[in-house]
Amino acid sequence: MRATLSLIRRELAAYFLGPIGYVALFSFLVLNGLLFFLVVGLLTEKGPRGVEYPMQVMLGGADDPEWALVAGVLFWGLFPAVTGIITSRLIAEERGTGTLETLLTAPIRDWQVVLAKFIACFGFYLLMWTVTLLYVPILANLHAQWRPVFTPFSVALLVGIAFIIFAKLAFWYELSSGLVLFLGLMGWGLAIAGGYLHYTKDEQYFLEVKSGIDFFPVLTSYLGIVLAGAMFLALGLLVSSWVKSQLVAWMLSLLLGLCFVLPAALRWQFDTGSVIDPLVYYISVPEHFRRDFTRGVIDTRPLVLYVSVTLCCLFLTVRSLEARRLR
Amino acid sequence: MIEVKHLTKYYGEYPAVRDVSFFVEKGRVVGFLGPNGAGKSTTMRILAGFLTASSGQVRIDGHDVFWDPLAARRRIGYMPENCPLYGDMRVEEYLWFRGGLKGLSRRERKQRLGYVTERCWLTDVRRQLIGTLSKGYRQRVGLADALLADPPVLILDEPTAGLDPAQIRETRKLIRELGQMHTMLLSTHILSEVEATCDSVIVIYQGQVVEEGALAAVRDRHGNQPLEDIFVRLTGQEGI
Repeated sequence: MRATLSLIRRELAAYFLGPIGYVALFSFLVLNGLLFFLVVGLLTEKGPRGVEYPMQVMLGGADDPEWALVAGVLFWGLFPAVTGIITSRLIAEERGTGTLETLLTAPIRDWQVVLAKFIACFGFYLLMWTVTLLYVPILANLHAQWRPVFTPFSVALLVGIAFIIFAKLAFWYELSSGLVLFLGLMGWGLAIAGGYLHYTKDEQYFLEVKSGIDFFPVLTSYLGIVLAGAMFLALGLLVSSWVKSQLVAWMLSLLLGLCFVLPAALRWQFDTGSVIDPLVYYISVPEHFRRDFTRGVIDTRPLVLYVSVTLCCLFLTVRSLEARRLR
Repeated sequence: MIEVKHLTKYYGEYPAVRDVSFFVEKGRVVGFLGPNGAGKSTTMRILAGFLTASSGQVRIDGHDVFWDPLAARRRIGYMPENCPLYGDMRVEEYLWFRGGLKGLSRRERKQRLGYVTERCWLTDVRRQLIGTLSKGYRQRVGLADALLADPPVLILDEPTAGLDPAQIRETRKLIRELGQMHTMLLSTHILSEVEATCDSVIVIYQGQVVEEGALAAVRDRHGNQPLEDIFVRLTGQEGI
C-alpha cells in the first residue's frame, strides 16, 4: 500500500517536473477554450438562432454552425493525442532510460506498478477536466439565492458545516487528534442528516440554485468524459508498455485511440438498417457523446465498452510487464 | 545467504547462463568475474528478480525469488549496471521515493535517508537534480538506494565502472566497510579491486562457472600466479 502510494505520488509529480504535463494541459485548454467561446456565442445569440444542447457543442458534437463542426473535429482528433501525451511516457520512458529495472526489482508487485501508473495518469486527466469546471457556472447561467429559512434541519446542516470547517482548521494547526476526529465526525453526521432532512421535509430551502440550462446533461457529459478518458488512458498505458520510445508510444496510442474516434466520421456510409451500423456506433465514442451523454441520456452500452476496455487493457499491461521478465 | 542451483537462462535460442550453481555464505564479499557477455549481468538480474530464469532455483536468505518474490526482493539491495536514475528528481526526493517504494515508514525513511546520505558522501548534493550529477555521484546515489532499506544482501553490478581513480578508491573503501555488515555479490572487471575488497571469487565464462572459492584457495590451486593470469587462463584467452 505504502509502495503504491509512493509510486502514485512520484508519477503525478513527474508530470509537473518535465514539459510534458504542461504541453498536454496547454493544448487541451486552448481547444476547450475555443469550444467554450463558441458555446457562449451560441447561447447569447439573438433571435431564433441558438443552440439546444450546449454541452453537445462543448464536446464537439454539433455540426450546425460550420465553426462548431470544425472545432468538433479538432477536439475529437486531438483528444486521443492529448491522452497519448499523458500516457506515452509512463512505461516507455522507464524502459528507454533503464529505470524500469530499479522499479521492478523493488518489493512491489507488477499489478501495483500498473495500477499506480494508471491512477497517476487518470489523476492528471481529471485535473485537466477540473479546470473546465470553471466554465460550467457560466454555461449553465447559475444563480444562487439565499433565504433566511431557519428550521431545525437547516440549522443542523449549517452547524455541521461549521464543525467540518473547525475540524479542518484544527487539523492545520495540529491540535489534538481526538478533537479533530470528534469535530469531523460530528460535523459530517450533522451535515448529512440535516441536509437530507432539510431537502426532504422542509418546504422552503435556505439556498436555492437555479440554472439557465438543464443541468443533468452537464452531469452525464462529465460522467461520460471520465469513463471514456479512462479507456483512452488504459489503451495508451498498454501501448507504452510495448515500446521503448516515447514518440512511438505516442503515435501508436494515437492510432489505437483513433480507432474509437474515426468510425463516427464514417457512420454515414452505412445503411442504418444494416448489421454493421450498430457495430460502428458501438465503437464510435464521439457519437456516444453527440447522441447520449451531452443530451442527458445515460446509455449503458458505451459505459460497458469503456469500463471493459479499460480493465482489459490494464490486465494486458500487467501481463506485458510480466512477459518482459521472461524474455 | 545466496543459494543458486542449476540456474539456466535462455534468450530465445541462445543460452546466456548454463547450469550455474554457487553458494554465498552470510557476511562474505564475493567478486563475480568474467569477460563481457559471460552472463554476469544476466545472473545478477535473475537474483534481483528483474528477469525470470528458464530453469533452476535461486534462494535469498531462504526465500525463493520466483515463488516468494517480495520477501526475496526486500532482502536485496540491487544496483543495476550503469545505474539508471530519474534525472528530473532531486537526490533527496529520489531517495525518499525509493524508501516509500521499499515500504519504509516516514520515520524509518527519515532516519535511513540521513544515514545513507552521510554514508555515501551525498550530503552536499542532497538538493541537486540527479540529471546534473557527475557519473561518480550518480553511482553513489545508486549505492545509497541499494542501502536504503538496510538489506542483508547487496548485489552490485559493476559499481566502479566509469569512475576516475580517486572515485574508484573511495567506492572501494566504502564497499570494504559495507562488507562488514552485508553479504555482498559484486561484479567487476578490475582484478586489483577484487584482491582489495573480496573474500572469495566466482569466475564465470560462457555462462558457466569455471572457478569458485576463497581468494587464497583459488590462487593456491593455480600455483600462486597473479589473479590476472588466472583469469586469462580460465577464460581461454591465453594467446593474447
